[in-house]
Amino acid sequence: MSLFGERELRRVADEALRHATGDAAEAVVIARTGSLTRFANSAIHQNLVSREADVHVRVAVGKRVASLSTNRIDAEGLAKVAREASALARLAPENDRFPGIPEARPLAATASAFRDRTAAASAMDRAKAAKVICDASHAKGLRAAGFVSTDVQELAVANTKGVWAYAPNTVSEAQAAVLGDAGSSFGQRVALDFGDLDAEAVATEAVTKTLRAQRPRDFPVGAHEVVLEPYATRDLIGMLSGQLTGLAVEEGRSFMAGRFGEKVTGDFTLVDDTFDPLGVPRAFDFEGQPTERVTIIERGVAKDVVWDAGTARRARRAPTGHATPERTIPALPMSLRFEPGDKSREQLVKGIRRGVLVTRFWYVRWVHQLRTIVTGMTRDGTFAIENGEIAYPVKNFRFTDSIHGSLGTLKGIGSELRLIMPTEQFGLRAAWQRVPAVHLGAFTFTGATQY
Amino acid sequence: MRRLVEGALVKNGRLETIDRGDTFGFAVRAIADGAWGFAASQVTTAAEMDRVAALAVELAKASAITKRADARLAPVKPAIAVWASPWRIDPFAVSQEERLGLLFMSEGALRGEPTHQRRGLRTTRAHYEIWREEKLFLSSEGSDIEQTFTEVGGGIIAEAVGEGELQIRSFPDGFRCQRQAGWEFLQDFDMPGNAPRIASEAVALLSAKTCPQDVRTTVVISANQMSLQVHESCGHPIELDRVYGSEAAFAGTSFLTPEKLGTFRYGSDKVNIRIDSTSPGGLGTFAYDDEGVPASEGWAVKDGIFTGYLMNREYAAQMGIASNGTMRADGWARVPLIRMTNVSLWHGDGGTLDDLIAGVDDGIYMDTNRSWSIDDRRLNFQFGTEVGWEIKNGKRGAMIKNPTYTGMTPEFWGSCDGVGGESSWFMWGTPNCGKGQPGQIGHTGHGASPARFRNVRVGVVK
Repeated sequence: MSLFGERELRRVADEALRHATGDAAEAVVIARTGSLTRFANSAIHQNLVSREADVHVRVAVGKRVASLSTNRIDAEGLAKVAREASALARLAPENDRFPGIPEARPLAATASAFRDRTAAASAMDRAKAAKVICDASHAKGLRAAGFVSTDVQELAVANTKGVWAYAPNTVSEAQAAVLGDAGSSFGQRVALDFGDLDAEAVATEAVTKTLRAQRPRDFPVGAHEVVLEPYATRDLIGMLSGQLTGLAVEEGRSFMAGRFGEKVTGDFTLVDDTFDPLGVPRAFDFEGQPTERVTIIERGVAKDVVWDAGTARRARRAPTGHATPERTIPALPMSLRFEPGDKSREQLVKGIRRGVLVTRFWYVRWVHQLRTIVTGMTRDGTFAIENGEIAYPVKNFRFTDSIHGSLGTLKGIGSELRLIMPTEQFGLRAAWQRVPAVHLGAFTFTGATQY
Repeated sequence: MRRLVEGALVKNGRLETIDRGDTFGFAVRAIADGAWGFAASQVTTAAEMDRVAALAVELAKASAITKRADARLAPVKPAIAVWASPWRIDPFAVSQEERLGLLFMSEGALRGEPTHQRRGLRTTRAHYEIWREEKLFLSSEGSDIEQTFTEVGGGIIAEAVGEGELQIRSFPDGFRCQRQAGWEFLQDFDMPGNAPRIASEAVALLSAKTCPQDVRTTVVISANQMSLQVHESCGHPIELDRVYGSEAAFAGTSFLTPEKLGTFRYGSDKVNIRIDSTSPGGLGTFAYDDEGVPASEGWAVKDGIFTGYLMNREYAAQMGIASNGTMRADGWARVPLIRMTNVSLWHGDGGTLDDLIAGVDDGIYMDTNRSWSIDDRRLNFQFGTEVGWEIKNGKRGAMIKNPTYTGMTPEFWGSCDGVGGESSWFMWGTPNCGKGQPGQIGHTGHGASPARFRNVRVGVVK
C-alpha cells in the first residue's frame, strides 16, 4: 500500500497551521496503513487492512493551551479543527508550567526505516506467510494462533516556529502461539523488510518448543534462578520504561529518583538509542525535536531518564527529545536497547543447577510502582532447568517481584538481541526494544496455575 | 462510524490537558470463498467505497488458502432501527467553563488543607472524559441500524509519597468510572465533597499497617473492586471466541470449556452473574450488536452453576443456537470481536456493606482496584486494592496499606458466602478492556454489590 507521502502530510500540517489563530501552533500528522492477517486453529479468521491519517493540532494562546485531533484532512476539516483548537485554547485557564511550543532545532541523520518490500506486500503475501506457520503446526497435530502483519507508517511534525520533520517507516511481523492438547509455546520475529521476515523461523521455534511443552508438571513456587527468553525480558523492560521518565522522577514514582550516580540494579546497561540501525530509527520526537541517545543505566548505575521540554525545564536541564503526543505521558523511552552479553542461550541455561526457563510473561501489572513490584503469569512454554539442561515442562507460575530488584541478581546476559515492538501507541507502532535472554539469580514465583 | 471524545485533566491546580478527538470512517466485512476479509477507510467517496469493498473480498479470498471449514453464521432477522442511549444533560452542551469548573473544584478540594502537602500529598488529579459515537450498520441481509452512544466518565485521584511509599486513593473508581449517561453522572457523585476524605486516606496510607503477609482470612470486597473481579474472572472466560481458540495468541483461551455448560459449579449458590445488554446506563448497553443481533439478557452463572456464554453468529452456529449478540468493534477501523456487554454480579441477600462486615470476626475489607492480573485461561488471579481495613469482631478497624488477594477462580467464587443487596448494587464500568490484534479497547459494564469470601489468600507484597 502506497505512502500518503511527505507532500501530502506537509499539506495537511500547513493547512491546519494556517487556520490556527493563537500565539503558536503545532500540527502532528500520523498516517498509517495497517495490514494484519490473523490466524487461529491454523486457519486465517481475521484479515484486515485499514488506511488512516489523523492530524493533532495544538494551539497556545499565551499560557493557555488546547489540543484537538481529527481524521478529516480535507481543507474544510483542517480549517475546522484549527479554528476549534484556537477557540478552545482561549477558553482554557492558564497553565504557568506550559513550556511553550518549541523552536526548530537541527535533526541528526538516521538510517532509513522504510522498506519498499514491506509497503508492497499483498494480502496473498501475508496469507502465504501465515500458511507456513499454520501448515507446520497442523502437520505436527498442533494448532497455531497468531498473525502476520505489515505496517506502513508516517509521522510528520510542523509548528509555527519553523519545525518540519517527516519520517516514514515500515514494520513487518510474524508471531504465533502454537498449542498442543497439553501445552503451548510461542515465537515472534519483527523486521523492517517483509523480505527478511522469517515466518519459517517462527514456526520452527514455536512448534519445536510446543512439542517439548506437553504435559507440564508441578514445580514448587518460591525464589528460583531463571533464564528469561528475550520475550520475557522485554515484558519486564517494557513495564519499566514508564519509570524512566522525567515526570516519574518529578512525581516521586520512579525508583531512579534521587539515586542518580548510584548502583540501583544488576550489572547491565540500558540505553535509549533511536539511532540504532537494527532498531527502527527516527531522528525526532512528537514535538519535532531532535532525539538524543540516552544512557539510562550503565553497568547497574542510574545515569539518566528521558525528558520532554516541560519536565526538563522544571528540573533545570535540557530535554532529550522524547516527547509523546499525549500530554499525560509527556515523554517515554521508545528505543530501548538492553546491551548484549557474551553468552549463548545454551550457556545461560548451563549456568543453572535447578531453576526455570520462562518463554514469555502475561498480564504484567504494577503492584507497587516505587519499588517496581509487578505481578504477572508465565505462559506459552515454561520449563524446569536441572543440572544445566532444559529438563521438562512445568505448570505456569504467578510471579510477584521487583523488576529492578530481580535484575539486581543478574548472573548472565545473552549475546543475541531480539527486536520486539509493542502494539500501537499514539496511533502508530512508535516504540521498540532490542533485548537479550538473561539469567537471574533469584526471581520470585508466588503461585501457580493448573496448566 | 463517527466518534467524538473530549478529555480534560486538572493536576496540581493547573489544567494539564484538554484534548478533543473526532474520527470518522467506514469498513466492509465480507465472506468470500467461505473465509473472512475486512477493509476500512476514512475517505467516503463512492470510488473509495468500491475499492474498500473489493479489498475486503480480496482479503477474504486470501484468507481462504488456509481455510479448514467454511465460515457459517447463525441466522438473524434483518432489522431497521434507530436507537440512542439516554442522558439528562448532554455533556457536549455543558459549557466548557462548567465542565472544567467541576474539575478545578474537585481537584482543589483534594489539595484543600495545606497540612496534606506537608505530610506527603504529592500529586492531585481530577479528570473527565465525554464520548459520543454514532454508528450505522448495514448488511447484505437487509439490516439498517443507526445507534448513538453517549458516555461520561471521570474522577479524582490523590497520590502521596514518603517513607519509601507511594500510595494512591481515588474516587469513585480510579480511571474506570464511566457510564452511558449525561453530565449528571459526574455531578451526582459529589467529587468535591468526597475529595478531603480521599486526600486524607492517601496520606494516612503512608504510615498505615502493612497487609498481613501470605495468610488466609475472610475478605469483604467493595462493589467497585467486585466489578473488576467479575470482568476478569467471569466476563472473559465466557467469551466464546476464547473458548474456541480465536484469541489464543494474545488474550488467551478459557477454562470454561463447552462440556461444562449447564453443569459446572462456578461458585457458591450465592453467586449469580447476569449477561445483559439492555441495562440502562451500562457501557455494554445497545439495541443491536455489530452483526445486527438484538440486545439480550440471560445468565452466565445461576445459583453458582455456569449457564451461558457471550457469543457471535459464527460460534453460535457451531453450537447450533442463536447468537446473544455481543460483537462490537473499537471504532471504524477494527474487526468486531465478542465483547462483554454488561456482565454483572447480581445482588444477593447480604444486605449492606456494614452487614457483610458484621459477619466477620477477623478479616480484611478491601476497596478500589490498584492492581490486577489473571492467567490466560482466567483461573489464577491476583488483585491489589488501594486501601484495606482490618475487620475485628464485625467492625471496621485499622487502615491497611498494599492489600492484595489471590486465588483460583472457581475456588474463590465457591468461597463466597455473602453478596450485598440491591441497595448496595451499582452499575460500574471498565472503559479499558484490551483484546484483539491489532489491539482494541472495549467499554464494558459490570453491576456489582460488595461481597464476602472466606479463606482467601492475602498479602504477597514483600
